[in-house]
Parts: sequence; C-alpha cells; structure tokens
Amino acid sequence: MAFSLPTETAKGRIREVEIGAGEKARKVGGENCMPFYLWEGEMPNKPLVAAEVSDEVGELPPALEKVLGDVKNDPVAWAKKAVEEWGAEAIFLTLTSTDPKGSDKSAEEAAETVMKVEEAINVPLIVYGTEDLDKDAEIARVVATKAEGKNLVIGPAKEENHKKIGAPAIGYKHVVSAMTPIDVNLAKQLNILLTNLGMEPDKLIIDPTTGALGYGLEYTYSVMERLKIAALMQDDSMTQMPLLANIGFQAWKTKEAKSSIEDYPEWGDPEKRGIIWETLTAVALMLAGANILVLRHPESIRLVKQLISDLSA
Amino acid sequence: MVEPAICGMAPENEGGPVEDSCRVTFLPDNRYIVVPKGETILKAAMDADVHINASCGGAGSCGKCRVVVEEGGVEREPNPKLSQEDIAKGYALACQTRVLTDLKVTVPIESRIGDKRIFERKEPEPAHGHLLSAEDWEKRLPPWTLDPPTKKIHLVLPPPSLDDNTSDAERVKRGLAVEAGLRDVIIDYPVLQRLPNVLRQSQWDVTVTVLDSEEELRAVRVEQGDTTERQSAVAIDVGTTTISAELIDLRTGKVVARASDYNAQVAYGEDVISRIIYATKGTGLARLQSVVVGTIWNLIKSLVEKAGIEYCNITHVVVAGNTTMTHLLLGLNPKYIREEPYIPSATFFPWIKASDIGLRIAAGVYLYAIPCVASYVGGDIVAGMLASGIFNTDKLTLYIDIGTNGEMVLGNRDWMLSCSCSAGPAFEGGGVKHGMRATRGAIEQVRINPINYEPMIITVGRRKPIGICGSGLIDALSEMFLTGIINEKGKINLDLPTPRVRATEGGAEYVLVWAEDSATRRDIVITEVDIDNLMRAKAAVYAGIEILLSSVDMDVSMIDELLIAGAFGRYLEVDKAVNIGLLPDIGYDKMKFVGNGSLLGAHLAALSKEMLQRANDIARQMTYLELSTNPAFMDRYLSALFFPHTNLDAFPTVKEKLEQYRSQERTFKRAATAGGEE
Repeated sequence: MAFSLPTETAKGRIREVEIGAGEKARKVGGENCMPFYLWEGEMPNKPLVAAEVSDEVGELPPALEKVLGDVKNDPVAWAKKAVEEWGAEAIFLTLTSTDPKGSDKSAEEAAETVMKVEEAINVPLIVYGTEDLDKDAEIARVVATKAEGKNLVIGPAKEENHKKIGAPAIGYKHVVSAMTPIDVNLAKQLNILLTNLGMEPDKLIIDPTTGALGYGLEYTYSVMERLKIAALMQDDSMTQMPLLANIGFQAWKTKEAKSSIEDYPEWGDPEKRGIIWETLTAVALMLAGANILVLRHPESIRLVKQLISDLSA
Repeated sequence: MVEPAICGMAPENEGGPVEDSCRVTFLPDNRYIVVPKGETILKAAMDADVHINASCGGAGSCGKCRVVVEEGGVEREPNPKLSQEDIAKGYALACQTRVLTDLKVTVPIESRIGDKRIFERKEPEPAHGHLLSAEDWEKRLPPWTLDPPTKKIHLVLPPPSLDDNTSDAERVKRGLAVEAGLRDVIIDYPVLQRLPNVLRQSQWDVTVTVLDSEEELRAVRVEQGDTTERQSAVAIDVGTTTISAELIDLRTGKVVARASDYNAQVAYGEDVISRIIYATKGTGLARLQSVVVGTIWNLIKSLVEKAGIEYCNITHVVVAGNTTMTHLLLGLNPKYIREEPYIPSATFFPWIKASDIGLRIAAGVYLYAIPCVASYVGGDIVAGMLASGIFNTDKLTLYIDIGTNGEMVLGNRDWMLSCSCSAGPAFEGGGVKHGMRATRGAIEQVRINPINYEPMIITVGRRKPIGICGSGLIDALSEMFLTGIINEKGKINLDLPTPRVRATEGGAEYVLVWAEDSATRRDIVITEVDIDNLMRAKAAVYAGIEILLSSVDMDVSMIDELLIAGAFGRYLEVDKAVNIGLLPDIGYDKMKFVGNGSLLGAHLAALSKEMLQRANDIARQMTYLELSTNPAFMDRYLSALFFPHTNLDAFPTVKEKLEQYRSQERTFKRAATAGGEE
C-alpha cells in the first residue's frame, strides 16, 4: 500500500492585499496553508523582501556604513540603489527626522521626501513614523493626502491613534499597518477597531512587533504562528491580514550585530556576524508566517530571497 | 416539607403569574409590556425599552418624563412640575403616575429624543423573567424538613425528693430523653452553672436549647418557663465587600428581617489579598476579626430592632463566606492562603460559641461556618451550590458568583469543578468613581438614547440619584457600547455631538446625571478609568468561564443552565451582561439570576440539619482548579478585554444588535445630512 502524506487543509485564507499602484503594485498574502507547506495548499505570493531606508541616520554599524556609502544621507538614492542593485521588492521608509525627541522635522517636509522616494522607485512604498502617537497621526494625514492614489502602506497605527491614521487612509485609499505589542488578541482587537472605523479588511497589514534573534524572537515567532493558525485553521477573519516583520531595525541594534572585533575577537568578523543575525531572524520569522520582511543589509536581502526561491521550488 | 420556608427566601419582586397585571401600550412606538398594577409608567417604559427622558431616577424632581395618558386609569401624585393646564391636556409625569388598568400612553416628542425619528430596538429581555421564582426554588431542591440544628425543648420536671434524688443535671438529661428522645446530651458548662437556680426559680418548668452538631447533642441554654414559641436564627453572608444578614423565625421558617452593610474591613484593603497581608502584620488578625464582628453585630442589632424580638430568641447563627473571610471571622491565620501552594488552615469548621469570636448575642448562641473547598473557593460558593440545587440536577449547570472574587462552579449531581478569579470590587461599586451599593438613590437601570445620547435612569427607592450600583453599571456600559459612546476597548468617543461626553484632566467621561438632578449636587459620571476597571472585572470572569469549560473539554454551548449570583442589587438584566461580554451568549432562557446565593444557602443550613449536611457533602465533593498557575488564563483574559469579546462570533446576538445599531446610525446620519442640505 502506497504511503500518503497526511495533510491538514485550512478552512481560511490570508487576505490578498495589494500595495502600491499601477505597475508598481504587488500583492502580499493570499495563502491558504502554513508558510511553505506547499503540499497542503498554495502560496500565490511569496514573502516580499523590503529594504529599509531612513530619511535621517545617525551612527550605523560599520557593516552597514560600508554598503551604504554616499547614499546614507540621500533617501532617494538609497531607495533606488536598494531596488536596482540589491533587488529589494519594496521600500520601507522610516521618517526618523520627524521624531519630536530628535530633529522634529515637520510632517510636510517628511511628505516631500516620501513623494520623491515614491517617484524614484518602481516597487511599493511602506512609510513608517517613529511611533510618536501624535506626530505619526499628523504624518499620516499629510502623506495620505499628498500621495492620494499611490496606495502606500502607512504606519504604524496603534490603538491610541488608530482613528487619526485610519481616517486619512480610508479617505485617500491607502493601506494601514496596524502595530500591537506582541499579542494575538491585541492584534486582532486593533483590526476590529480599524474595520469598525470603516477600513476595508483587505487594506490592513498586521505589524505584530518584532524581536530579534536572542531578544524575544521565540515570542514573536509564536505570536505570528498563532495568528496564522487562527486565520487559517479557525477561519478567524480578523487575523487574516498579511504580517509585516520589521527585522533590520531590531537585528542591527543587538550587541551581537554591532559590536566590533576588538570588543569580541572570539565572535569573529563583525560584518558576517551582523548579516547572519539579520538573516537568521528573517528566516525564522518567514517560517512563522511573515508576508513582508523588512531588512537592512543587501547581503541579507540576497540570502533571504535565495532561500525563498529554494523553498518555493 | 416546608413550603413556607422556601417562600420566605424567594427574592423580592419575583416572577411568576402576576395577579393584578395591566398592559401598558406606548405610542407612537406601539410597544407594550405587562406590568403589575401599581407600577409607575416610567418603570414600565424602562422595561419595555421605550425611551423617555428621565434624569432624576424617578424622584419626580426633574419634570422631564412627561407623557400623555390616552386611555385607562392611573393614580397621579400631584407635582409642581405640571401646571393645571398640562393636567387638563392629559399630561402626567411618568415616574409619578401609577398604572391601575390597561393603558395607552403617548410619549410626546419633547420627552422622547427631541427628534421625530424613532429607533427600532430589539425586544427587551425583562429582568423579572430571569429571577428564580419561589416555585423554581422548590423544584430545585429535594424535599427537606424544617429541622434546625438547635431545638428548644420545654420540660416540666418532677421536683427531686428523697426517693428521686438524682442530680439536677441528670434530671434534665432524663427529661430530654423521655420528652424528646434526646439521649446522652452533654450539658454545656455555663448551663451547668446556672442550672440549680433556674430549675428552682422556675419550679422545675424550663426550656432547654439543644444543639445537634451531628457529632454530639449539647444543651447550650436553659431558660425559665416555656420559650419554645420564641426561637430564631441568623443567616449571614460574609462578603469581602458587603455583609448581608437575615433573621429567620425557626417556628415558621420565614425571614422576618433583612439587613446589609459594607464590611468594615474594606478600610483595611479592598480585596482578600490585601486583607491577608494586613492580618499577618502584628495584631492585624485580631483587628480584622473585631472589625467584621462589629459589622455583624450592628446588622444583628438592626435585625432585632426591625423584627421587634429579644436577642435571646436567637439560638444559632450560620455564616457563609469565602475562605479568607471565614478565616478572619473565626480568627484563623490566613497567611498560608496567599502563599504557594495556597493552603487554608481548615476547610471544615466546628460549631463554636458565637461569644468565642466576640459576638455576644445571648448566652449559648452557637455559630456554624459553611465549609470551604480550597483557598479561593469558600463557603459562600458551597452555600450557593446548596441553595441553587445543583447537587440535585442532571443538567450541566454553570454557577457564577460575581463579587470581589469571581468564583464559579461547573457541574451537576455527579461532579462539580470550581475555580476563582480576582474580579475586583467594581461590580459592587468599588473602584468606580460614583459607584455605590444598591441602596436608596443608587441608579439601578439605565437606557441611553442612540440619537442624542440622553440617558433614562431609575434609582433604588425612586430617589434623586446619588451614585450607580452594579446592575446600573452593567446597564450603562451595555448602552454606552451599543450606542457608540464607547468603543470595543472602552474608550469614550469625544467626537459625539453631546455635552455629556467630555475630556477632563482625569480622562474622558460620560455624564449620566447633571448636578441639578443629582442628590449630591455634583455631576454623576462614568469615567474611562471606571470602564477599565469594569472591563478587567468582566474579562476575569469570562476568562474563568472559558478555562473551566475547556479544562473538561466543553464549550459554552453545552451549558444547560447558567445561574448568576452576586451583589448586583436587586437584579441583573442578563441581556445587558451578555452585551458587554460578562456572561456567555447562550440564550437568555438558560440564564437565571439567583441573587445572593451565599445568603440563601446559609439560610437553608440554618433551617435544616439535613441541608447543613448537604452543604458539607458538597464541600467534600467539589474539585478545585487553580487558575493562577494556568498559562492559558492570561491569553483568555486579554481576549476578553474587549466589548463584548475579541472573538465577536462567540456573541452572535450581540453581533446582530451591533449591526442593527450601526446600520440605523448610518441611516440616521444620512437622513440628518440630507435634511440639513434641504
């Protein structure tokens, strides 16, 4: 008697969310199986690998300084380079300059950068503030208005400012990334609040908050996996949004990724170390179900894309 | 078989057929409700979910609840808010007008909403239908007899002589054996001391009170002459926040007086944990014991005064309280209740002299505490199990006692599984800015108009409002949620076009009563902090329910009957409790509100040795599930921190209501916008 592999069929499906407009548009989500369980279902859209670009950078680990070179202070050139040379499939633009605790640049100024970056690239654009509740709401209002029709992803919307970020996104037809602190219930609750506000469920992405390898990765992993299980196995409509994992930011701030060879000679080459740290975090979260992976180093982008392609073969 | 006893314990305004009932029809809604004759039109409107502006709780002082009586007979209280002209036109104040016959009443626009549009609302779920009636009670319990643990035996003894020279004590024992068949009675030492004098002064005509503790018979009091007609017992529910007591005439089994008050220990901490901490410091235990005994003493004093009896009529006391309260009352060290592995000093307690704990009611009064199950499931729950007859049914029953601790039991005659979760005092009015117990002036029912957000309130005693009690808070939350004043997270929507929502330094709030209509001359408000506290309380209870069911691999759909006990005041509107996700959405016909189950159980045990033994059996039978070490609890709790619940599909009727409200809101907004453009 031939052996047949036992399979579990999902009741539900992750919503397919389109981000970006026109020929820049890409789809994320849409799968009806656990990540890469391709014998149990289909994954029409592979995880999207986005490169993080910032409109203001301070001190960076040498590994990142080296690859960025002169684009470090030019977000438009940086974004172009990430897409054209590194193969990024989306740009994740962090508006660091708007932080009221830092440069506190105006939302209008930031929106100009957003528009320039958007014009310069042929992939979708994700725009994030600095998690300042009021400032992010203001940025959302200005960016959403200026970028009408561009179908950006705007975030992070939190419970406290979800109305102020959700309303302009609804009005000017953008996607919202809803951020909650590593908890299945809270993620679901924020999606309910946003849909009650009038947001279409297929205009939402979940940012469940990411922890890097060694810094809460297993916690993020299990929350993402549980969100996927609820979405697929229990057909829970308010968890069926694609997941975004903001990895580069977390991975590159770990001691392991940024310490110099002088401090820890036994840890080996800091450049490789940082890349490995970022890549391993990304691989783990991809297997937990992340649909958008935000990375910083071109080598990490290359390795993760390679793995996605190998796993999908 | 003692029906009168059961009648005596039935909650007030219970259901069942109402002899003199009248049908009140409200126009233009054309909605009707059947109410008992003598009910006010305001209360009838409240229960029929017909909105009438009412700000003063039914005191007759705001003059806003004007209605026109079109047909039928009413009795009106004269009120300065109505002119002769008004009365001539047929106007009446709904709260000051009593229904005498079937009625047709028009609610004029100004009393309604200031808008012509009328909202369709779902048929209300009247509270009355969910109260257990006297008949219900009788059906739940197996037949039992009025056979209290103490009995008064009247003895006319032959005086001693040289031929019959047995001692006084032996003479009494002989009398008890011959007259009442009570053998081997032990005579309490203080009785022995009094015996020679009492016997001779009464010329050998005495009444002896005998306590049957199952282990032994003990003569606990001797009185001159025949006092058998005068025998009472006190049943007490010792709650963490509230203590309730009743005086029962043991000849008839009827309750002759009731009283309740805050537990004075509240000053030493609101929950059991802070009380335990206080008790373990220095003389804390003695202090807490004397404070609770003080509260109980005041209650007994008030019972005795209300009933017009003598203290010495009381022959025994039965108390039911959670494990910590029982420990503190009996002066037992509660320290290890709090420390892992959470071990109480005792779960079964002997009959003790009430005077041993400082409760000096009369000579020879003994006290029994209903046994506990574990550190966080106590005698109050065992008493509730007894009263609600779960030990006597095949139906899968979920019993929930919503007090400072939310305790619950799942089971039937074959098995019982219990757990406890800390809900906090919010449902008893604690930790809520204008929260209060269900005493006079407490807002106990609330409706909110979904168009202009104006409230309609009724208070206990129809007085000007002072604060809000548990049932009023649940009503208010449910209405605020359905009308969109608060969102699923309990956050107030400050964008609404009403001055009743406002931001303050302490956060956002909704004004339920303006200062001019309140008895306190201050605005009565519900704040976001209050809502958070209530949300946490309801989430803890609901998470407990889920864990209890899942630990036996069941879900809410398998519950045949849901019994709700707790200090909500006189009743709880179960549909409102479901709307906020405090109770599972399993169909209102399966839900019954039992009121103070702990007190009812103590009452039964005070009346019948058989029932007291049943309570002991229940305590032995019940299994306890520790939630504090259950990793799933936190997850369930977080998912319940949402109105009604993160998993809305588990609340189908609430989902339906929400959809209805939202679509009406949209219709209204569209209509309003269109009207504005014209």
